[in-house]
Amino acid sequence: MPYTLIDHTADLGMRVSAPTVEALFVEAALALCDIMGGLTPSEEERLTVRSSGIDRVDLLVRWLQEVLFLVEVKGFRVAKVVVEHLTDTDLRGSLRGACTGEPLKAEVKAVTYHNLEVAHIDNQYVATIILDM
Amino acid sequence: MSGLNLRRIDPFRIEIARTPPMRTTGLVYANRAIERTLEHENVLQQVANVAALPGIIGPSMAMPDIHWGYGFPIGGVAAFSRDEGIISPGGVGYDINCGVCCILTGLKIGDVRPRMERLLASLFNNVPSGVGSRNKALAVSNREFLQVLELGARWAVKQGYAPPDDLQAHEDSGCIAGADPDAVSAKALERGQPQLGTLGSGNHFLELDVVDLVADADKAGAFGLFENQVVVLVHTGSRGLGHQICDDYVHEMVSAASRHGIALPDRQLACAPVMSREGREYFAAMASAANFAFANRALIAFLIRETFEQVFGGSAERLGMRLLFDCCHNIAKMEPIEWEGREVQACIHRKGATRALPPGDNRLPRRFMQTGQPVLVPGDMGRMSYILSGAQGARETFFSACHGAGRLLSRHEAKKRSRGRKILEELLSRDIHAMAASRATLAEEIPEAYKDVSDVVDTITGAGIAAAVARLKPFAMVKG
Repeated sequence: MPYTLIDHTADLGMRVSAPTVEALFVEAALALCDIMGGLTPSEEERLTVRSSGIDRVDLLVRWLQEVLFLVEVKGFRVAKVVVEHLTDTDLRGSLRGACTGEPLKAEVKAVTYHNLEVAHIDNQYVATIILDM
Repeated sequence: MSGLNLRRIDPFRIEIARTPPMRTTGLVYANRAIERTLEHENVLQQVANVAALPGIIGPSMAMPDIHWGYGFPIGGVAAFSRDEGIISPGGVGYDINCGVCCILTGLKIGDVRPRMERLLASLFNNVPSGVGSRNKALAVSNREFLQVLELGARWAVKQGYAPPDDLQAHEDSGCIAGADPDAVSAKALERGQPQLGTLGSGNHFLELDVVDLVADADKAGAFGLFENQVVVLVHTGSRGLGHQICDDYVHEMVSAASRHGIALPDRQLACAPVMSREGREYFAAMASAANFAFANRALIAFLIRETFEQVFGGSAERLGMRLLFDCCHNIAKMEPIEWEGREVQACIHRKGATRALPPGDNRLPRRFMQTGQPVLVPGDMGRMSYILSGAQGARETFFSACHGAGRLLSRHEAKKRSRGRKILEELLSRDIHAMAASRATLAEEIPEAYKDVSDVVDTITGAGIAAAVARLKPFAMVKG
């Protein structure tokens, strides 16, 4: 999975990279699920997710927060993430997976705006995101 | 250390000079040992960022347990004018009213040792802990849940989960005025409701300590503390309810700050004027989460009392169990403060800091009028914890003090250093028994992940903000 963990004294950061912005949003969602222990091989169900933000980085936080809610509160475990429509302020995507309710391995309180960054480096989009654990 | 202009004022205080865009100075409470822990952090820049927010009164302060947070530093204290200042969800944090309570027992360590394994196992079974923990036994209806948000610990007393006398031992009698569940999103309600009566994970814990040293016999006596006594510390907060409320309002205030013309050096500092619509709604939602947290700790205290009754026989009352104090660590409160010779209404943000009222303060219940408020300072799981009392010097911090040891290592780094080690056995070699819902939590929480709490306490007492009353040594704990 194309992400690395980065250190933050209070919390945990992840750095995600992908060749396109759409792929970046997909990989960031999968990275978050991986950290939480919210992945599954099962693709029984499909959930549609809509998010909006004031700009691209805001949208990234809102999207990940939506995924976090579905995983933590609804017990949804994720197999596949698709971004169907993306602008700088709106996203429509879907999650394939199953409502297994299996125990999570980490409690992520929130996806924060702290030191949040999306950069375009060497033909890769790179997002740095700090999670409050 | 950083590009900031720092000046040591005395053995316990460092000033950050005011440079644009700061509107005021920064004031960091740190002895030499604490100062060394600041060297690799961006934390002082965070103190300076808070100093740049509109309507700040007095310096942007940091307690000695300060560490790098997100937006505001953890260990930060800042007062903002009610009329000209801001309120910031990031200045309170995601775990709204994360706090700590101390339950006294009449038992001595010698009474507990023979039944310690059973006691620890029973506490681990009876108090739900761990990632996403839920409490089905104490589930409440939707309507009842709204009462929890409005009444806080008073709800727990009304339901018979806590004796009425406990309310005298809560900050603000266990209920922050101004809570309005209508300001709480459906998502936040759904996230928080099943988690009422749970400890959670991460740095949340339930710990059995023995009073190892009495530093002030008169105050210890007044608090009901004596040498070799067993006491219980609980650290938890508003669980998913607070996390979601903070998230909802940080998002809203990112837009609100722009509408109100507030420049943000870091979006996590998102804020709005205290008396704006957004500010008032956030306060109403935050107070609801704070009240949930008071009720949550009261329910956990109820489960602890029941467990002691099962293990030792007799009633909790006969076992000498009563609440010493319950206080908030992450909160924004409307408090009157004295500033430049007059009383000003302020919105005081304490993020990883606790209130500390000195003797004689008229907000104290009668039982603490002579002693000052108990200030509970839990350390890491392998070293000491302290009980202090608020002192007159706390006026300069708008009656605020440190809340714990303060993290030194990231969770990632702590896990790396734990690899290949048997943490439970290491603790046992220090005569500390631990049970954890997750091995990962235990690895993240190793003692060296934290500053030495004794350095924190040395600073806070040296600065005259609080006075030492007793030292506690942990001997058993439940980690989430």
